[in-house]
Amino acid sequence: MERPIAYDKLAREDRFVRMRAREVARLKLEQGLPPFPDLASREAIRERVHGILVGELQAMEGAGRSVCDFPDAPWEFTLDMARQVWDESRHVEIYLRLLEHLDGHAGEFPETTILWRCACAEDAAARVAGVNRGLEGLACDVFNQLVHIARRIGDPILERAVEFVLADEITHVRMGSKWLTRLTEGDPERRRRAIEFQETIDERFNLGGMRRTGDPEAVPVSVATDVRRQAGFTEEEIERLLRTTQRSPVY
Amino acid sequence: MTHPLEGQFAVEASARRLRAYRYVVERTLRALGGFIALTPEISAKLLLGRHVWDLAQHADAFGRRLPELRAPGQVSEPANAGVVALMDALEAPEAPGETVERLAGVYGVLKPHLLAVYGDHLARANAVYEPPTRVILARCLADEARHVAGGAVILEHLAATPALAARAAARRRAIEALLAAAGGVTGEGLPASAPRPPAQDLADEAREFIRLERALGAWPWPPGLETALGAFGDALVREDAGDVRRWLAEGSVGEAAAATLGGAAFTAHRVVALARVGGHRVVKQRLDGPGGTAVVQTRWVPGADGWRAAAVEVLQREGAALPSR
Repeated sequence: MERPIAYDKLAREDRFVRMRAREVARLKLEQGLPPFPDLASREAIRERVHGILVGELQAMEGAGRSVCDFPDAPWEFTLDMARQVWDESRHVEIYLRLLEHLDGHAGEFPETTILWRCACAEDAAARVAGVNRGLEGLACDVFNQLVHIARRIGDPILERAVEFVLADEITHVRMGSKWLTRLTEGDPERRRRAIEFQETIDERFNLGGMRRTGDPEAVPVSVATDVRRQAGFTEEEIERLLRTTQRSPVY
Repeated sequence: MTHPLEGQFAVEASARRLRAYRYVVERTLRALGGFIALTPEISAKLLLGRHVWDLAQHADAFGRRLPELRAPGQVSEPANAGVVALMDALEAPEAPGETVERLAGVYGVLKPHLLAVYGDHLARANAVYEPPTRVILARCLADEARHVAGGAVILEHLAATPALAARAAARRRAIEALLAAAGGVTGEGLPASAPRPPAQDLADEAREFIRLERALGAWPWPPGLETALGAFGDALVREDAGDVRRWLAEGSVGEAAAATLGGAAFTAHRVVALARVGGHRVVKQRLDGPGGTAVVQTRWVPGADGWRAAAVEVLQREGAALPSR
C-alpha cells in the first residue's frame, strides 16, 4: 500500500463538488456575502454544519491514514489514532443527521480540502501537531460557538450533539499534545518543525481575520479560550494564537 | 468424557497463535484505516471507520495477553509467507473504483475466516486455565460477527449490478485461494465455516449508513436551472458548439474546456452534483456513451436571460465507459 498518499487521491462520491477555499471566498465576496458562513440564519448554520461535516470526513480519513502510514510508530500511537478514527466516524454520522435536522444534505455546498492537505504531512509528529492541535483546536473554537448559538436559538438537538463532539475534540487535542511530546523526545529539531507546521495551520485557519477573541454571539468565529485551556493549550500558546488572529491573510 | 484439565494448546503454541492473529489483525486495521480516504462511498467509509477501532482493541488485547504466556508483549508474527502474501493482496486495491474489491476481500473472506478460527479456538481452549484467552476470543467473535454482517450488507448495496457482483465474486475466489494456500491465518488449515450470524440483528448500523448515503431524494432545483442544464447537456452530447456557446455567460472561458470533449460520441448526460455558492450553483454532469465517460463541472449564474454558465471545467475524461452505480 502506498504510504503516504498524495493529497489528490482523496476519494469522494460524485455528489460532492470540490473547490479551492480561496475561490469559494472570492465568489461569495463578489456577491456581497461573508466568505465564511456567519450564524445569523438557519441557512447559514446549515452551511456551517456542512463545512464541519466535510471537515469531519477529512479528519476521519486523516486519522485513518495515520493508522496506516506509520506502522513503525509506538503501538499506543496507533491505538490513539484508531480511537480517533472511530470518534470521527461517529462525528460524520452526527453531522449527516444534523444536516437532515436542518433540512440540508451532503453535497449541498462545495467541499474544500484545505484540512485534508494539512493531514498529509509526512512526519507523524507534524501530523499530530497540525491536525490534533491546530485543526482540532479550531474545531474546539467552532463547536463551542455552535453550542452557544444552538442554546440561544433553542435547538436542543444541535446543542447536545455538538457538545458531545466538542468533548471528543478536546480529547483529540490532548492526544496531539501527548504524541507531539513523545514522538519528538530527544529531537528538538523535529519538535521545532512540528510546532512550526502547527503554527502555519493556525495562521491559515484564522479565516481572513474571522477567528477572533470575543463573545461567541458577536464575532464570526470566537476563540474558545476556556475550552482550549481544558484541552491543554498553554497560556502562551493561546496568547500567540490570539496575536496571529490580528494579522492573518485570507485563506 | 475428557478430563477438565485436558488441553489442546501448549503455552508456547497459544502464544504463537496470538502473534499470528495479531499480525493479521494489525495489518487489517492499518489497511482499513488507509482505505477510508481511498473509498468514495460514505456508507463504506463509515463502516471502515467503525471497525478500525474494534480491530485495534483486538490487536491490543492479543498483544497484552502475550507476556502472560511467557512471550514478549505486543508482537505480531505471520504464521508463514503465505499469510504475508494474503495480506499484501488484501491491501492492494487502492483505486477509487475498487471499493467492491476492498470490501469483498476483507468482509467476504478474511473476516468470515477469522470468525471461524476464533470460534474453533474458543471451543478448544481449556475452560479452566485458559479463560483469559477465551474472554478475548469471545469479544473478538462478537465484534467479527457484527463486522461480517455489516460488511455483507454494504457490499450487497455497492455491488448492485451484475458486473459489480461478478467482480466481487472474482475477488472472493482470488482471496480464498490465497487463504487456502496459507493454511489460514494460523497456517494450520481452514476450520469449518462458522454458522452465519443473524444479519438482521447485527447489520442495523450498516443499513443506517446506507440510508444516510441515500438521504437526498431529488435535486433542489432553483427555477429554470434544470431546463438550462438539460439543454446544455444535450448540446454537449451533440457536440453542438453553437448551442454550447448559447449557455455560456459573457466572458466565460468555458468554450475551450467544452471543446476538449469533442469527438467523444456521448449519448447521455445526467446531473451528479448540485452545490450552492451564494446565489450561484455549481453542477457536475456526467456524460456517458460508447466513446467513454466525462464529468463536466459548471458554475451557473442567474441573470436577466436566465441561468448561464460562468465557468466550465472538464474534471474527468475516460475513454471507456465506467461501471455506473
